[in-house]
Amino acid sequence: MRFAIKQVSCGGERIGTLTGFLKSPSTVIETPTAALLTQGGSVPHLTAEVLSKVFSTPQLLWVPVSNSIQLEPGMRAQGQGVAKFCGLPDHLVCVTSHNMSEPTPSGHFELDKVPLWTKNGKKMVNAERYMDLMEVYKPEIILAIADGRTSLNEGYKRILKSLDRSCNMLDTCVYRYKASKKLKESALIGVVVATGMPKKNNESIKHVLAHKDTLTGVALAGITDAYEESDRLAAQKIGDICKTVGDALPKDLLRIVEGCWNPAIIVTAIEHGWDIFDGSYPAKLSNAGHVLTLNFDPDRLSYEPCILDLNDEKYKEDFTPVLEGCECLTCKKHTRAYIRHLLNTREMLSSVLLSIHNLHHFDQLFRHARQHIAANTFQKYKKHITKQYEAYKLPHSANGVTDVNGVTGVNGVTAVNGIGMKETDYVKKRLRVSDDEIPTSQVVNSSL
Amino acid sequence: MGAKSLALSFHIKQECNVSRARAGLMKLPHYEVKTPVFMPVGTQGTMKGLLPDQLESLDCEIILGNTYHLGNRPGTDVLTKAGGLHNFMGWNRALLTDSGGFQMVSLLKLAEITEEGVKFKSPYDDSEIMLTPEKSIEIQNCIGADIIMQLDDVVQTTFQDYDRIKEATERTSRWLDRCLAAHQRPTEQSIFPIVQGLLNKELREQSAKEHMTKDVNGFAIGGLSGGEAKDDFWPMVSLSTGILDKHKPRYLMGVGLAIDLVVCVALGVDMFDCVFPTRTARFGCALVANGQLNLKQKIFETDLDPLDKNCSCSTCKNYTRAYLHSIVTVETVACHLISVHNIAYQMNLMRNMRENIENGTFPQFVQKFVREYYVDCDYPTWVVEALGSVGINI
Repeated sequence: MRFAIKQVSCGGERIGTLTGFLKSPSTVIETPTAALLTQGGSVPHLTAEVLSKVFSTPQLLWVPVSNSIQLEPGMRAQGQGVAKFCGLPDHLVCVTSHNMSEPTPSGHFELDKVPLWTKNGKKMVNAERYMDLMEVYKPEIILAIADGRTSLNEGYKRILKSLDRSCNMLDTCVYRYKASKKLKESALIGVVVATGMPKKNNESIKHVLAHKDTLTGVALAGITDAYEESDRLAAQKIGDICKTVGDALPKDLLRIVEGCWNPAIIVTAIEHGWDIFDGSYPAKLSNAGHVLTLNFDPDRLSYEPCILDLNDEKYKEDFTPVLEGCECLTCKKHTRAYIRHLLNTREMLSSVLLSIHNLHHFDQLFRHARQHIAANTFQKYKKHITKQYEAYKLPHSANGVTDVNGVTGVNGVTAVNGIGMKETDYVKKRLRVSDDEIPTSQVVNSSL
Repeated sequence: MGAKSLALSFHIKQECNVSRARAGLMKLPHYEVKTPVFMPVGTQGTMKGLLPDQLESLDCEIILGNTYHLGNRPGTDVLTKAGGLHNFMGWNRALLTDSGGFQMVSLLKLAEITEEGVKFKSPYDDSEIMLTPEKSIEIQNCIGADIIMQLDDVVQTTFQDYDRIKEATERTSRWLDRCLAAHQRPTEQSIFPIVQGLLNKELREQSAKEHMTKDVNGFAIGGLSGGEAKDDFWPMVSLSTGILDKHKPRYLMGVGLAIDLVVCVALGVDMFDCVFPTRTARFGCALVANGQLNLKQKIFETDLDPLDKNCSCSTCKNYTRAYLHSIVTVETVACHLISVHNIAYQMNLMRNMRENIENGTFPQFVQKFVREYYVDCDYPTWVVEALGSVGINI
C-alpha cells in the first residue's frame, strides 16, 4: 500500500491517496477519510448486502482486535484474512488493538502486555502475540500495539509506563514486521502516546520516528482513556495536540487519529493535516437513536440542529425523511416517524436504518472536506461545521445532557458512553430485544 | 362477484392430479401473489431487521402485520396519517393482518371474552379495553392490508371442554357477520372468515359450512398449530379443505415448519404464516434440508462451508458457518444473516412446490423431499397417513 499527498493547502490541511492494494489494484482511497468501525468483523447492524447499498466501492474498515479476536480459529482455518472471513472480501482493513471509544476497566497492565477487553473477558496480549495475530488478520494497515489509553490528565507515573511499554512494543512490532514474509503487503503504523505531557509526548514522537523508514504512518493515541472524555474546550485542546504532533512529523507520513471525535474536532484535526479517523462516532450516534444532519453548504444558513434524537415523541407523526435531500437509502425510502416507531418498539431495523444514514452522512462530511481543500475553501467549511456543532452542543451541555465527547459525570462516577446514555443501556441495546418476544418454549409452530 | 372481486381474484393455474395441491395466482390490490405461498411475519411493521428491499430480493410477495401490536404502536392515528401500513413501512407489495384476537389470549392473562368482544387490561396503562369485531375491523381498515382477518373467539387448541368449544365456534360465526357488516373498504381489502372448531370434527365441519354461505374472497383455517398432536392436526386441515370452496384461497394460520408446509400443500392449502423462521434465526438456528443447524455449537468453529451449499441467498454466497458461529447471538448482523437465509429457505421450498405442481411432478417432489428431510427414512406415522390420504405414498 502506498500513501501519496496530492495537495497541501495553506492551513496544513491536505488531500492524499491510498493506492497499491494487492487485492484491489484499481482502488483509490482518498484522504482525509473515516474508516468504518467494525464489531466482530462486521459493520454494526449491516450485512455485506446492506453495506453494499451504502457504499458501492471498497471502503477502509477499522477492525479492533479486542472485538474480533473470537474470529481467530475460523480465520486461521480459512487462511485468507479478516476481510474475506467476515464476508467483506473487497474491503480494505486497518487493524488496531482496541476500540478506543468503548470504555473498559482501567489498569490491568503487565510488564510487556496490554489487556484486551473481549466479549469473553480480559485477554493479555504482548507484541509478539499481536504480530502473530496480524499474520492471521492479513490487514492492509497495521496499527502497532501500544499502551495508549491514557487521558490528558493522567498522572506522571502512568504516562511514564505508557510511554515505556509502547516504545518496547513498537520495537517488537517493527522487528516482527520486517522479518515476516506474510506481512509484506501490509503497512505498519507507529502509535504516538503520552499526549497529556508535552515532554513525554516528544519522546514518544522521537521514538516512533526512529523507525521512520519502516513505517507508512503515525497514529495518535493517548488523548483519552474513553472514561473521562474531553469537555467543552476539547476541540481547541485536541486541535492544539493535533497541531503540535503534526508539526513534528515528516509530511509524507500517513496520519491517523484514534477515538470517537465529534465533527468540530474532526475538521480541526483535518486542518492540521490528519488523514484518517476511526469510524466510531457515527456508530455511537446510531446506537443511541441519533442522526447526524449537518448542512454541508457554507453558503446556506442552517437552522435545524445538526443532530436529532429520533427517540423523541415529537417525531411520532413526522413523515419527512431524516434529512431532506440526503441520497442515502434511509432518507430516500423511510421517514422519521417510521424510525421513531422502530426505536419505540425496540425493533432491530431501527439500528439498520440509523446506521445507513449516519455512515453515509459521515462519509459526506469527509467528501465535502476534500472538495473544500481542493478548492482552497476549507477554512470556511471548517467554520461552518464547527458553528453548527457548537450550536447543537451548547444548549445540551447547559442542561447537563451529554454529547459524544462531553461527559457530565455525576460526582465523576457515572460512566456515560456519550450521547447521554448509560453504558449498560448501550450494551443492552446492541442486541435489541423486540417487545413482542415471547419465551422460546412457545415458539415452534405457533403464530404470534 | 362484483365490487369484492376487485380486492381479490384467485386463479388456479394447475392442480396436482394426485393430491389436492394446486398452484395459483392471487391478485391483490398491491401485488399478484403466486400460491402456495409462505408469508413471513413482520409483527410491528418490520421484518426483524431486514429492509423491504431485501424482502423483495428474497421474493417475498406478501407479509404479515399484527393488528394488536400495530394498533398500540404506532397506533391508528399515526397509521391513518401515514396513509396506511404500506406507506408507513415502505412496503409496496401485499400485506395481511390478523384480527388481534390471538394476541389478546396468548399475551394477556386477563382477557375476558363475552358476546360483545374481548375485554382485556392494557399492558401499557392498566386501563380496560374492549376489542369487538367492529373495532378489530376498524383498526384493520386503518392499517389497510390487502387481506384482513375476522375477529374469532380463540380457545387454546388443546382445550377439552366441549361446551366452550361449541360456544367459541358459533360465536366466531356470529362475529363474522358483524365484521363483514363493519367493513368499510370492501373494494380494497378482503375479510377472510376463520374456520374454528378446534379438534372437533362436527364443530369444524359446521364452522366451515357456515362460512361457505358468506360472500367472501377466501378462508382461513384457525384454531390449529397450538401444541396439539400431529395425528389430531392434519385430519382437521384435511376436513376443512375438503369443505371449503376450491376456487377460493385457503390460509392455514400459524404453520411454517417445512414438513408441515409440504403435507398441508398436498392437503390443498394455499397460504401459510409463521414466526418460526425469523425467530429461530435470532436464536442462531439456520434451516437446512434435513432440519436445523444450531450455529452456537462448537463444531462449526472452523466449518468453512456456507449454511447450505445449494442455497443462493446473499448469506450463503458471502458467509461461512465458521464466521456465523463466531458472531451468533452477539452481533445483530448474525440475526439478519440467518433471517435472510431462513426466509430464502422457506421461499425456495414454496417455489419448488409451485413449480412441481405446475409441471405435474408434485408427488415425486414430496417423495424426494421427505427422503431428504428424514435422513434415516424413519417417517412419522402422521406424515405417512396424511400424504397417503391424498394418494401420495412414501
